[in-house]
Amino acid sequence: MYFTILKKDLKRKKTMNVILLIFVILAATFIASSANNLITVSGAVDSFSDKADVPDYWFASTNAPDIERFEEFAGENGYDYYISRLIQIEPSNILVEGKKFAYSSTTALSILGGIKIFDKNNEELTHINDGEIYIPYFISQSTENDFHEGGKILINQGGVEKEFTIKGYTKDALFGSAMVGMTRFLISDNDAELFDGESANICSAVEVHTKDADYRDKFNGLGINTVMSVDRSMFKMLYILDILIAAVLLVVSVCLILISMVILRFIIHFTITEEFREIGVMKAIGIKNGAIRGLYIAKYFAIAVVGTAVGLGLSFPFSRAMIDGVSKKIIISGEDHFLINIAAAILAGAVVVWFSYLCTRKIHRFSPIDAIRSGETGERFQKKGILHLGNSYMPTVAFMAVNDILSGMKSYVSMIIIFIIGTLLVIIPVNTINTLCSDDLITTFNMAKSDHIISQELLFDPNEDNKAKVERQFDEVREMFAENGIDASVFQEIMFRTNLSKGDKRTNSLSFQGRGGVTTDMYTYLEGTPPQNVHEVALTYLTAGQIGAKIGDDVEIKVGEDTRTYIVTAINQSMNNMGEGVRFHQNAELDYNYAAGSFGIQVNYKDNPDKAELAKRKAQLEKLYPDAKVYTPGEYIGYMIGDVAAQLDSVKTLILSIVLGINILVAVLMVKSFITREKSAIALLKALGFQNNSLTLWQTLRIGIVLMVSVLTGSFLSTPLSSLIITPLFRMMGAYSIEYEIRAVEVYVMYPLIVLAATALAAFISAQGLRKISSSEISNNE
Amino acid sequence: MANILEVKDLCKTYVVNKRQNNVLRNVNFHINEGEMVAVMGPSGSGKSTLLYAVSGMDGITAGEVDFCGRNIAKMNQKELARLRLDEMGFIFQQMYMLKNLSVLDNIILPACQSNKIKESRRETVERGHALMRKLGIIEVADNDINEVSGGQLQRACICRSMINRPKMIFADEPTGALNRTSSDEVMEELAKLNSEGTTVMLVTHDVKVAAKCTRILYIVDGNIKGEYYLDKYDKSKLRDRERALNGWLMEMGW
Repeated sequence: MYFTILKKDLKRKKTMNVILLIFVILAATFIASSANNLITVSGAVDSFSDKADVPDYWFASTNAPDIERFEEFAGENGYDYYISRLIQIEPSNILVEGKKFAYSSTTALSILGGIKIFDKNNEELTHINDGEIYIPYFISQSTENDFHEGGKILINQGGVEKEFTIKGYTKDALFGSAMVGMTRFLISDNDAELFDGESANICSAVEVHTKDADYRDKFNGLGINTVMSVDRSMFKMLYILDILIAAVLLVVSVCLILISMVILRFIIHFTITEEFREIGVMKAIGIKNGAIRGLYIAKYFAIAVVGTAVGLGLSFPFSRAMIDGVSKKIIISGEDHFLINIAAAILAGAVVVWFSYLCTRKIHRFSPIDAIRSGETGERFQKKGILHLGNSYMPTVAFMAVNDILSGMKSYVSMIIIFIIGTLLVIIPVNTINTLCSDDLITTFNMAKSDHIISQELLFDPNEDNKAKVERQFDEVREMFAENGIDASVFQEIMFRTNLSKGDKRTNSLSFQGRGGVTTDMYTYLEGTPPQNVHEVALTYLTAGQIGAKIGDDVEIKVGEDTRTYIVTAINQSMNNMGEGVRFHQNAELDYNYAAGSFGIQVNYKDNPDKAELAKRKAQLEKLYPDAKVYTPGEYIGYMIGDVAAQLDSVKTLILSIVLGINILVAVLMVKSFITREKSAIALLKALGFQNNSLTLWQTLRIGIVLMVSVLTGSFLSTPLSSLIITPLFRMMGAYSIEYEIRAVEVYVMYPLIVLAATALAAFISAQGLRKISSSEISNNE
Repeated sequence: MANILEVKDLCKTYVVNKRQNNVLRNVNFHINEGEMVAVMGPSGSGKSTLLYAVSGMDGITAGEVDFCGRNIAKMNQKELARLRLDEMGFIFQQMYMLKNLSVLDNIILPACQSNKIKESRRETVERGHALMRKLGIIEVADNDINEVSGGQLQRACICRSMINRPKMIFADEPTGALNRTSSDEVMEELAKLNSEGTTVMLVTHDVKVAAKCTRILYIVDGNIKGEYYLDKYDKSKLRDRERALNGWLMEMGW
C-alpha cells in the first residue's frame, strides 16, 4: 500500500518532487566537489612545498658583500643554504613573439638549482637545453602577452641577444604566483653564462634550511639589504586566492543546502496541509502517527538517496574541473579524494532526511476531524485579511497580490529567505571585485592617487647613478608632455629594501619614496600626520607591529650602508608584500644604489578631466609610448597582483548562473504550488469574470513583490555583509581599512534587475498553467 | 418580453478515457428577460453542465447559445470573461469566496475589477454596503469569511453576484448547503431580485425552491423533457405552487 501511495504522490507532485530532486543533486554536487576542492587545494599547497623542498627562509639581495657576510654567518651557525644567481632583465629588453613583455615586477633569468621545479606533467626539471626557456604558468596566462609552447622569446641585455623557444610552463613554488612580485624564467647553464657578464644586474636568491627558532632574529641582526625576505609559512599565502575561491564555492554549497532545506520545508508543509484529508482518514482508521510520518519520510528519503547518488556522480568530474586551474600552478597529488566526495554527499543527503523528519512533526497535530473540516479544526479564528480593498487605491489584482502576501506571510518566508540568500550571493562577489578593481584601491599599495600610470618601471643597477636615472626619465616624460601639450604632474614610487629596528626588535621591509611631483601628504594614512621632514617616516601596521613602534617613536632604518634615526609620524597600510612598508619623505636622502625597483610613472592631469576626456588622454599616452602600457589605477593593480579580479569574475559568473537557476526553480515551484492550492480560487475568479491575463499578473505579482522585497533587503544587507566578508580578505593582504567600492547602479539596479527579470519571467511563464483551469472546475474543488 | 438567453441544439460531450459521454444532447430552450427559471432533474442528468454551458463558464461541443443576441459559443476567453464580469452574476452551492478578503471585499471584488460602472472605490464600497444592508448582512461586512454563518455567506454571494448590476444571475443549487430557514431567506432574496427585474436561472433539487420560480425546465439524460409554467399561480400561495409542481414532476418521473 505504501508503495502505491508513494508512487501516486511522486506522480501527482511531479514538478515539486523534480525541483526538490534538482536541489538535492545541486547541493550534493557542490558540497562534495567544493569540500574536495578546499581540502585538496589547501593540502596540496603543503605537499607541494614539501615536494619542491621549499626552504624555511628565503631572501634575495643585490648586494654582493652582504651575500658574503651571510655565507660567513651561515657557516658559523651551521645553516644549510643554497645561493642561486638571478640575472635581472628589464621587461623592455624582453620581446614575446616580437612584442614587448608586459609585466610590472622584476623578471630574472635563472638556472636550475636549489628548490625543485616541476613541469606541467609534475616531472622534476633536471635539464634544460640551450635555446630553451621555461616560464611560470601564471605568466603564461597573462592576456597581454602571447605566450604559447613553442613560441619565441627574444632577450637583449648587456649587448647579448638570444632567442629562446618556450619549452614549457613551470610549477615553481617560489616564483609561481603573481603575489610574489617577482618572476623567473629558467634557461640552460650555457645560456645563463651568456647574460651573466660584468654588466649583469645580479640578484642573489638565498634558500636557507634550518629549524633554528632564533634564525629570524639572528638574520635581522646582520642588517643585510634584501630585495625580498620571506619564510616558509608566507609561501602558503601566495596561493591564498586559490584557497579563497575554493572557500567561496564551499560557502555557495552551504547556501545551496540551506536553500534545499527551505524548499523541503515548504514542500512538506504544502503536501501535509494539502493532504489533510488523507492524513485524517488514515488516523481515523487507526494508522499510527509514526507509520503515517514514515510514509512521507520514505518519499524524501528516496529523493535524498537518488539526489545524493546523482550529485555524488556529478561531483567527480566537477571536482576535477575545479582543481584543474590550480593543478597547473602547483602539484596536486595524484590520489583523488573520493572519500571526501562520498562523505560530503552523504552528509548532504543525511541533512535532507533529518530535516524531512523534523518537518513531518506536524502530522502529529492533525486529527481525524481535519478530514471532515477541510483541514480546519475550527479552533483558529484569527483574522486573515490585513488590508481592505474598499480602503485601497491599488488596482484589484495588485491589491490581491499584496493582501495575499501580508495575510499568509508564512507561505512566503521560504521564498524570501531563498531570494535574499541569492541576492547576497550575487552582490557580495560583485562588491569584492569592484573594490579590487577600484582606482581608489591604489592608495593601499603605497601609491598616491593619479589619473594614469605608464608602465615604465625602472630596474636599478648598483653600478649606475640610479638617482640620475630616475631624474632623467622624469625629464624625458616632462619634455614629451610639454611637446604634446599635456599639462600634468608626473611622479614615481621608488622601492628600497630596508632594515628597521627599535631597541632590540628588528625587521626588514619594503620601503617607498615618491619622486617627482608628489609629496607625502598625497598619500593615505590611517593614523597620525604625513611625514613633514626628511627624518620622519610612516610605517604600515604590520611593520610598526613587528618592531613595536608607535607614532612619535624613534626607529632606526638602514638603507644600504647608511643607518639613520627617523620619527614615526603616521601609520598607513599596504598590500605590497602582505602588508609591510615604510614611507619616506620625498626629500629624504636615500642611497639609490640600494633601490630595489620602481612602480610605473604616475600621471596627474592638472585640469581635472572628466571620464571621457581621461579615456582620450589614455589613448594619447598610448600613442606617445607605444612600447609601454598605459593603465588606469584600477588596471595597474590588476597588472601588479595578477588578474585576481578575472579569477573572481569567473566565480561571479558561475554564482550568478547558479542564483538565477535557483530563483527560477523556486519561482516555478512556488507558482505551481500556489496554482495547485488555489485552483478553486482561480476557478472562482474566472467564473466571476477575471481574465487569464489578470490572474497571471496576480500570480506573477506575488512572486515579483516578494522578490522585490527580498532583493531590496538583500541589497541593503549586502553592504554591511560585504564589509564583514571582504575585510578579513583584505586584512590578510595587508589592508586594514578599505573604502569599499559600491557601484550603486550595478549593485542596486543592474544585478537586482537581472535577478528580478529572470525570476519574474519564470513566474510569469509558470503562471500560464492557470489558463488550463476552467471556471466550471469550481464545483470540483474543495 | 424579449429573449435574454436562447439555446439552440446545444450539445456537450466529455471524453473520459477515450470514451465519449454525451452530457447534453440537442438542448433547446429560451429564457425571457425578467423570468426566474429553475432547472430540475435527477442526479447526473446534466443540470449543472447546462448551467455552466449557457453561462459561458464551460465550452460547448455544438449548438448555439445567444445571450442578449450574442452567440457566446463564438466568443473567445477574454470576451467571455468580460461578459461574466459585467453582464452575469453567479451563485454556487458552496459559498466560494477568497479566504484572504473580508466579506465586503469579496462582494465588491468584481466591481473593482470591472469598468462597467464608472465610480470611485468609495462609491463601490457604498454600493456594497447598500446591497448588504438590503440582504440583512451589513453587520458582517468587515468579518472574515470564516466568521460568518453559511446563510450569511450565501447572501454575501448573492450580493457579489449583484454588484455589477448583471442582466442575469445563474445559480447552481444556491440553497444546497443551507438549512431550511437560511434556504428560505436566500430564495426570498433571489425572488425579490427577480421581481425587481433581474433574470434568474437556477439549478435545484428542492421543490420548495423551484416553486418560487416562474418556469421549470426538467432535464433527463441531457435533454429537456418538459417545461412547466408556474406564473398562473399566485406568488403568495406557495403551497399551491408546490403541490402543482410536485404533480407535474411526478408525471415527469421525478
